[in-house]
Amino acid sequence: MQIKPILTALRHHKAGTVLIVVQIALTLAIVCNALFIIHQRVAQLSQPSGLEEANLIRIQNQWVGKADDKAYGSLMATDLATLRRLPGVADAYATNSVPLSGGGWSMSLRLKADQSAPSAQTAIYFSDDHTLSTLGLKLVAGRNFRADDIRPMSAKDDLLHPAVIIVTRTLADKLFPTSTAVGKTVYLANHVSTIIGVVERMQTPWLGMSWGSAASTLVPFRLLTDGTNYVIRTQPGQLDRVRRSAPEALFAQNRMRVIPDQHGVETFRQIRADAYASDRGMAILMAVICVMLLAITAAGIVGLTSFWVGQRRKQIGVRRALGATRGDILSYFLTENLLIGMGGVLLGIALAIGLNLWMVTRFEMQHLSLWYVLAGAVALLLLGQGAVLAPALRASRVPPVEATRSV
Amino acid sequence: MFAYYLQLGLRSLRRNPALTALMVIAIGFGVAASMTTYAVFRAVSGDPIPWKSGQLFVPQIDSWGPGQGRQAGDLPDALSYTDAMALMRAHVAHRQTVIYPVGLSLIPTGQTAKPIAAHGYATYTDFFSMFDVPFLYGSSWPVSDDTGRGNAVVITRKLNQRLFGGADSVGKVINLDGSDYRVSGVIRDWNPKPRFFDVANGSGFGGEADFYMPFTRAIDLQIGTDGNNNCTKVAAAGWDGWLHSSCVWIAYWVELPTAAAVARYRDYLKGYAADQRKSGRFDWTPAVRLSDVSQWLNLQHVVPPETRVSMLISLGFLVVCLVNTIGLLLAKFMRRAPEIGVRRALGASRREIYKQFLLEAAAVGLAGGVLGLLLTGVGMLGVGLVFEADVARLAHMNLSLVMLTVLVAVVATLLAALYPTWRAASVQPAWQLKSN
Amino acid sequence: MLKMTHLSKVYRTEVVETYALRDFNIDVKEGEFVAVTGPSGSGKTTFLTIAGLLETFSGGEYHLDGIEVSNLNDNARSKIRNEKIGFIFQAFNLIPDLNVFDNIEVPLRYRGMKGAERKQRIMESLERVGLVSRAKHYPAELSGGQQQRVAIARALAGGPRLLLADEPTGNLDTQMARSVLELIEDIHRDGATIVMVTHDPELAARAQRNVHIIDGQVVDLAEEPRFHTHADAAAQTHP
Repeated sequence: MQIKPILTALRHHKAGTVLIVVQIALTLAIVCNALFIIHQRVAQLSQPSGLEEANLIRIQNQWVGKADDKAYGSLMATDLATLRRLPGVADAYATNSVPLSGGGWSMSLRLKADQSAPSAQTAIYFSDDHTLSTLGLKLVAGRNFRADDIRPMSAKDDLLHPAVIIVTRTLADKLFPTSTAVGKTVYLANHVSTIIGVVERMQTPWLGMSWGSAASTLVPFRLLTDGTNYVIRTQPGQLDRVRRSAPEALFAQNRMRVIPDQHGVETFRQIRADAYASDRGMAILMAVICVMLLAITAAGIVGLTSFWVGQRRKQIGVRRALGATRGDILSYFLTENLLIGMGGVLLGIALAIGLNLWMVTRFEMQHLSLWYVLAGAVALLLLGQGAVLAPALRASRVPPVEATRSV
Repeated sequence: MFAYYLQLGLRSLRRNPALTALMVIAIGFGVAASMTTYAVFRAVSGDPIPWKSGQLFVPQIDSWGPGQGRQAGDLPDALSYTDAMALMRAHVAHRQTVIYPVGLSLIPTGQTAKPIAAHGYATYTDFFSMFDVPFLYGSSWPVSDDTGRGNAVVITRKLNQRLFGGADSVGKVINLDGSDYRVSGVIRDWNPKPRFFDVANGSGFGGEADFYMPFTRAIDLQIGTDGNNNCTKVAAAGWDGWLHSSCVWIAYWVELPTAAAVARYRDYLKGYAADQRKSGRFDWTPAVRLSDVSQWLNLQHVVPPETRVSMLISLGFLVVCLVNTIGLLLAKFMRRAPEIGVRRALGASRREIYKQFLLEAAAVGLAGGVLGLLLTGVGMLGVGLVFEADVARLAHMNLSLVMLTVLVAVVATLLAALYPTWRAASVQPAWQLKSN
Repeated sequence: MLKMTHLSKVYRTEVVETYALRDFNIDVKEGEFVAVTGPSGSGKTTFLTIAGLLETFSGGEYHLDGIEVSNLNDNARSKIRNEKIGFIFQAFNLIPDLNVFDNIEVPLRYRGMKGAERKQRIMESLERVGLVSRAKHYPAELSGGQQQRVAIARALAGGPRLLLADEPTGNLDTQMARSVLELIEDIHRDGATIVMVTHDPELAARAQRNVHIIDGQVVDLAEEPRFHTHADAAAQTHP
């Protein structure tokens, strides 16, 4: 198939050609960036939390009436005993926060007491000897907390000064890249703590923190304050049952508490869904727009090519009369579309990169991987060929006798 | 001629139902995507208090100093207790107030009823006049309750409904976390979007608060903040240690009705900052900033980046749909070149051709607008999937959005039709008639 | 009625200039029936399209009904086409999307005529061409001769003073051609000026005057112009 006559013919449809080129280019630019956003968001929301999430429930509990901080200690102990006795419950503990919940404590860590810039930032999880088994955290080095490690801490009167801590592997590697972390000491605020264990992974309560999403520290304290979170691991298949029975049991035990109607009792599945709602939403929106965009562009190519075929019936008839085979006609239109498509794709690559650079400066996006652009370009060329196939086949079926018909 | 052209246009559109459907679908989807994301953007980017947003200001003071890993100009988004109290005492602005969120439990009088969680704000009485809070019953508490740590409370209509069945409850007593409060006023439903005076805590689009209480009383009762509390150094132990630490947790607002008042307040802030260095409290001269409502909302990134990016991508989608429509209209119009030739020969001027074809395009646009309206409605149901629940709840169809959807569809289609119509009007009648 | 003096029409492409008409002079009097003949490519059709204000010309003057048309804008030219000129084409040029009634209505619409008057005019002209029963038919449902009669009805409906016909019978068989020609003669009898381009000598013979165009110029063939009376013309077709 000769390309030159096709190009010459295209000059007679300048406007239509330019429009398809522009449409392909814009589509490529938008689809590349949208796919890239999808990729980022999906990568974000498929990060593991480090927890065995399937059977976890969190209850947010608020004590009513001002009590002495010391009193909270015994209230919490009673509650935990109640929860652990409950049928269907495998284990439970009390804490200030859980991964992905969006609220919690963070502190900086230093390797030396007099160091001016901190060595790392970490999320602080108040924990006890049941924490690892409740959350299903994997201990990869050292040991778990023992019951006698656990101390009470009054939110108003005490400062955080744990003697022993457990850290995540992410944090351990950051603090001690070359040696084992277990047995080493770090400074939390101004107090020295010894790392006794390392867990494989535990996400922080927040997403998108610059200091990393898995730099967490477990401290062996019971935080004495009017609000606390109970985390429950149920036996398999008992999640729904415990979800109802646990708050009932707590109220039966002591009515002077508030468990909020909203987010008061949640499975970890719900916490995860809430945390990633905007990521998932963005990915869905971008996917919907990509599909619509590709469909509209394909339909536009079908429409315009059909028009051209209709316009050129006589010309096609003449070609057929002069000996062109059906295959010749088919490949004429396919080649024509390929040429237009390549024009569009070249322009589109430039636009895609330009759009991405602009979004990088405006919306703190990351740089687009070139593979996306290339994959998008190939996809659009294939889409064009697919779209042009039906009108091209119709063209190839124009009988040679068309040449002799007038009007 | 309008009716005639409309009739011709509809007839022509009926002749190529597939092509017409394609154009209508393209415009409908393009407009719907844009309008859905625009509705969300509009909901989150509106001015919450348009009549006064230029007179309300937030002062910021760099009480943390350099070298805390922050970028230049990145001041703490709240004040420490020390600075907030100093500014209140100076009383330089026309009106001023501190605000911080508190979460308390409301203890019902009955023995069987469960306590309920109640969210509110600790503030000064100026709060209500500064923000034009509408009262249903009573009024805000007197200044004497601010200075005298009075146990007044202003409750919302919703809470009044729950506790008092909606009756005028001024003077009645409610119990929050074991302390009694006397109701001084009940406010009407009032929840600015975004809740500009508390955007540092949460998205700014949450549900309405339940009550407002005097700040001085809350401090007296040692009620901690229910919002963010950011500290550089660990505070000394105890309530007093926390109050006098570097922790920032108090929002501060001033009302400055004139440009002169703004200038005066700015000078005052600079002077205050300089004094802090002189007195030896800081070993740096703290930077200060005074932002009005819209500057503050920008500074706090209240409009989530998702809404901007998605609106941008949707607009791009609309542009592609329009380019597509240009192509299809061009094909459709040029297929009728012979007809145009005949019409021109029979006395149609170019202007008449313009009218005829633009009207046909407008009909396509209108149909696209109607489809777009339906799809925008579907989109509104779907925004909950895409945006945070608090934000998604705000996006809704109203008359202005309906009109805008149809208008955008028609105008966009007319723009798309300009080139094809120009080509149609430029058809040389002689050539068309000869070529046959 | 129609007077061209030293008129020229040049088609320019990137490479060549082609004169379609060169120093073209013609004067058609009010009420005349003129046949324009000439070999194909001689410029007959160009002459007709310029005469009908479908095309502009490059030089010279053209007075139509006393008006110099070269300086008129598009609106004014359209108005003249609409009110004074009727066209009949070889290919009929009916609008396929419109039925017979609506086709005839087109020029009346552009004149801004009221609905009742439009209807009356349309029915009158349909009656004249004998196609009242076909008012709701679409062009594709009619024979060639019927289509041309619709085209004539459309040209007539506006009551044109000048009827321009381009090979009006070229696509028709003899029988149909005859009835179409009779219609045109009928219109002439009613006072319209008729300019008909044709290459058929028999057809040309029925005009009052023949003008021959060769290479874009009028060649006066007739030393003694053959004037025919209407009676003569009728006698020749129906011996």
